[in-house]
Amino acid sequence: MPVGQLLVEGLAIGACYGLFATAVVIIYKTSEVVNFAQGEMAMFSSFVAFHILSVYQLPFWAAFVITMIFSILLGILIEYFFLRPAKHPSILGLIVITLGAEMFLMGLAGWKWGAEQKFFSLPLDPSLTYEPVKGMIINNWAIAVFAVTTCIMLLLYVFFKYTRLGVAMRATQQNKHAAKIMGIRTERVLSFAWGSSSLIGAIAGMFFASRATLDPAFMMEPFLRAFAAAVLGGLMSIPGVIIGGGLMGLIENFFGYYWPQWKPIIAFIVIILVLCLRPSGLFTKHFVKKV
Amino acid sequence: MDMKRDYYEDIQLFKSNVVLFWSAVLLLALFTIPLYAPNYYIYLLNIIMVHVILAVGLNILVGSTGQISLGHAGFFAIGAYGTAFLMSMFQVPFVFAIFIAAFIAAFFGFILGLPALRLEGPYLAIVSLGFGLTIMHIIGGMDVFGGRMGIKVPPLDLGIKQLGISWVLKTDIQKYYLILIMTILLVVGARNILKTRVGRSFVAIRDSDIAAEVIGVNLTIYKTLAFAVSAFYAGIAGGLFGFVLGFFDPFTFNMILSVIFLVMVVVGGLGTIQGGILGAILITYLQYDFLKNIAEVPYLGALMVAISKQWFTTVGLENFSSMAIGLIMIGIIIFEPLGMFGVWIRMKKYWMTWPF
Amino acid sequence: MKFRNKALFSFIAVLAVLSIASVTQAAPPVGFDDNEIRIGQWGPQTGPAAPWGSVARGSKLLFDIVNEEGGIHGRKIKYFIRDDMYNPAQTAAVVKELVERQGIFAFVGGVGSATGMAVKDYLAANKILWIGPAAADKDFAFPVDPYLFAVYPLYKDEGSILTKYIVDKLKMKKIGILYQNDAYGKDGLEGVKDRLATYKMSLVAEIPVEPTEKDLASQILRLKNSGAEAVLMYLTPTPAVIALKTAATVGFKPQWVSSNTLSDYPLMFKITGGLWEGVITGAFGEIPDSMNPLMVKYREAAKRLTPEERWGIFYSAGIVFADPIVEALKKVGRNLSTEAVMKALNSFKNYQTIGPKITWTEKQHQGTDSVLIQKCGPGASYITLQDWTTNDLATWKK
Repeated sequence: MPVGQLLVEGLAIGACYGLFATAVVIIYKTSEVVNFAQGEMAMFSSFVAFHILSVYQLPFWAAFVITMIFSILLGILIEYFFLRPAKHPSILGLIVITLGAEMFLMGLAGWKWGAEQKFFSLPLDPSLTYEPVKGMIINNWAIAVFAVTTCIMLLLYVFFKYTRLGVAMRATQQNKHAAKIMGIRTERVLSFAWGSSSLIGAIAGMFFASRATLDPAFMMEPFLRAFAAAVLGGLMSIPGVIIGGGLMGLIENFFGYYWPQWKPIIAFIVIILVLCLRPSGLFTKHFVKKV
Repeated sequence: MDMKRDYYEDIQLFKSNVVLFWSAVLLLALFTIPLYAPNYYIYLLNIIMVHVILAVGLNILVGSTGQISLGHAGFFAIGAYGTAFLMSMFQVPFVFAIFIAAFIAAFFGFILGLPALRLEGPYLAIVSLGFGLTIMHIIGGMDVFGGRMGIKVPPLDLGIKQLGISWVLKTDIQKYYLILIMTILLVVGARNILKTRVGRSFVAIRDSDIAAEVIGVNLTIYKTLAFAVSAFYAGIAGGLFGFVLGFFDPFTFNMILSVIFLVMVVVGGLGTIQGGILGAILITYLQYDFLKNIAEVPYLGALMVAISKQWFTTVGLENFSSMAIGLIMIGIIIFEPLGMFGVWIRMKKYWMTWPF
Repeated sequence: MKFRNKALFSFIAVLAVLSIASVTQAAPPVGFDDNEIRIGQWGPQTGPAAPWGSVARGSKLLFDIVNEEGGIHGRKIKYFIRDDMYNPAQTAAVVKELVERQGIFAFVGGVGSATGMAVKDYLAANKILWIGPAAADKDFAFPVDPYLFAVYPLYKDEGSILTKYIVDKLKMKKIGILYQNDAYGKDGLEGVKDRLATYKMSLVAEIPVEPTEKDLASQILRLKNSGAEAVLMYLTPTPAVIALKTAATVGFKPQWVSSNTLSDYPLMFKITGGLWEGVITGAFGEIPDSMNPLMVKYREAAKRLTPEERWGIFYSAGIVFADPIVEALKKVGRNLSTEAVMKALNSFKNYQTIGPKITWTEKQHQGTDSVLIQKCGPGASYITLQDWTTNDLATWKK
């Protein structure tokens, strides 16, 4: 059993899940909605990058910057046009709205770009690999995933800890009405949360697309796994979510090595067991409701 | 609308003669549909009714008890596979087979209800989702159930083979009547459940589980019961669905189906019988028939093809219906948080107070 | 009140019984008249399986060409494509709608095993022909369904032929397989195992893959550790891409061999970023840039009639599946009936256009078991390694 290699691969895909799960959590923290359109928002942004690269032939960095701006706008617009107008919505109602947005985006992408798989690649030479320890080959893609995930973690940490907007976001998350009274424009906080979440999702989406192919349905499965990773990590703490993603990647790869047939569901079984013991995930204190 | 004076008035099936009259008209219409509706609609109606059963059952869980389930396709699968398997392997008569299968589904519902005692919201969602995926995967891994190849259902024989009675339903219309009768019974049953002590306990749990516990509702029993009842409905629906289809494989019961069931309930209206029915009808119709083959529609089709050629791709034009369904779902929730049930109430009020 | 309820219900019950008794399913309209023959096909145009949708659109090209040339004995072909989203419940819905509302003479193609199985019996019961299912499910042709004529070579036969090639020509002893965990992959696996049994060999690794999986690292490492020299793939394009990309990054370089499902080299070459070069696949149609006169004709027509479509393998496979019905209709002449067309189809012997040679008899509706073996050369070019080969182990021929 190639332990070292499985460790690398598990952590790499796990970091990807974790990165995407972070996007899910940012929205969940501010608006208590699990955004089912998250995957399709990332898919759509990746398609925009693909379109810029293949039709307008711009260099990658330009396409990347434009895509990032687009993804922020996409997140803000979806929140503004689809979620905000809903008056006194139930949580389930909001979830159905995000599902509607998912169908809309998937349909639009299918209409615009067709269903056939597209090639999407990051400017990383896939043939370059490093072998620091014998039996642990690390490729460029994994290094990029680790680097980007670490950067985003650090940025988010600094953001939530030290910036005014970050503190405002935490305040909104704890008590929306109190935050409003204290003069925080909670609508703006929501827009910001959706925009930044969409941005992080788009980056994760590009990682997934460059590992597989780009097609309108390609983010459905990663979204499920990211959602599961987020729940495993506790949905509230961002470092917890990253660890949750890493754990998922490792469980799937180590277990999948011996029983490949059960690889697709083993993570869910583990999560069910974990949640039976710790109902709010691994890294969140169980919140006891007051009556 | 009007005040109820005692419990018996509340549990009455028909509150007034007006309701009685319209119910009769509706039933009459339902029973005579095959006389004038074209044949190909009957199949769609069968699917719709199966979904109605499931949505009404899911609504007991989601709308009335306030739990969430993204795993109902799993119960649906248990019902379908259980019924087909019991009938073909053990020659169990249909009526018994479908109920045994539904009770197996209910048992699994009870099992899923156990973690639900401690979980809520997204945590419960992911557990139920994992449950649905696991069921699909386990069935797919078992060769008795045809594995991933799928299985063919036996002929729908209403008689009892052991006694030599045989009444095989072959056409969609014959199946329509069977499913219609089942649907009516189950819908009335669901309505009655909600009017009893059990139903009131469900609602109490939804509104505040701690308060419910304080006033003496046993959470363990009633939460798991809600799951079991809902799974029972899904099991029956699944058993019927198998016969509507004639052939199915595990992938038929995928995660997307679970999500669609949830959408039906929410779009229809949480916590009401009418909501489940309306939601199932609307969403199933949208999925199966709405804006399909848009290129063949006169005028509009040519316009859409032209638009596609200009800005999109013609090969992806079929995706237009998915976009439209997404927008309809969003629109309903934005403009009518109560869902289709809210629309229904508005129409009713408008009608009753007309012309004021 | 109570009494009235009872009265009402008994009234309705009587009515129900009466209506059940009185309603009989009317026969569907016939599928042709003096001016047109109606032919249909289902296929996923939306949803996760939508890339296969080009099969249905490829058939449309053939019918458009036929109509341009004046139709068949004075009748034009009216062709319907229906989107079923790869969902058997929807397939049944669209097929019933077509048959009972429009009246369909025959179906061609139709992607998917489960989707086809959901309507197979319905079509047979309504005496509607179904030619060339775009899936090689062995339940389609065995036992013989008089109305169903299969073109697609069975995955099992193909697996057997490919394995023979690997063992005999490539002289490789250690063979692994990566198969999709469904009817498609399992049929292929069976064929591979049957062939290996004749050499008294066994697979060094057999690894199932879910069609939706996006991470195949552990599977690839397992293959690498098994020391497989050749890896057979029974996959759809996306998992195949992931497998190749992952293998490249962990330094695993076996001889990849794949079923004809992935024989669209330009597509595969592009979406793997060039990794597809050197992969050996089965194939059951002419290569896209073939100089076969029919191929040239279709290719030119495609450029003219459907410029937005990519001229790929799936698209031209749509033509392969639709060719036989056109040929049979031509043979039958003006005096059209389902029975006459069936008779014409049953007398097909080594009929070949741009696909394999097809032979159908009354007792045998699996048209062919031959595949080509090709290799992806530089720049997604096609190198033919082995001409049409039949499977000498095919049990169904005896």
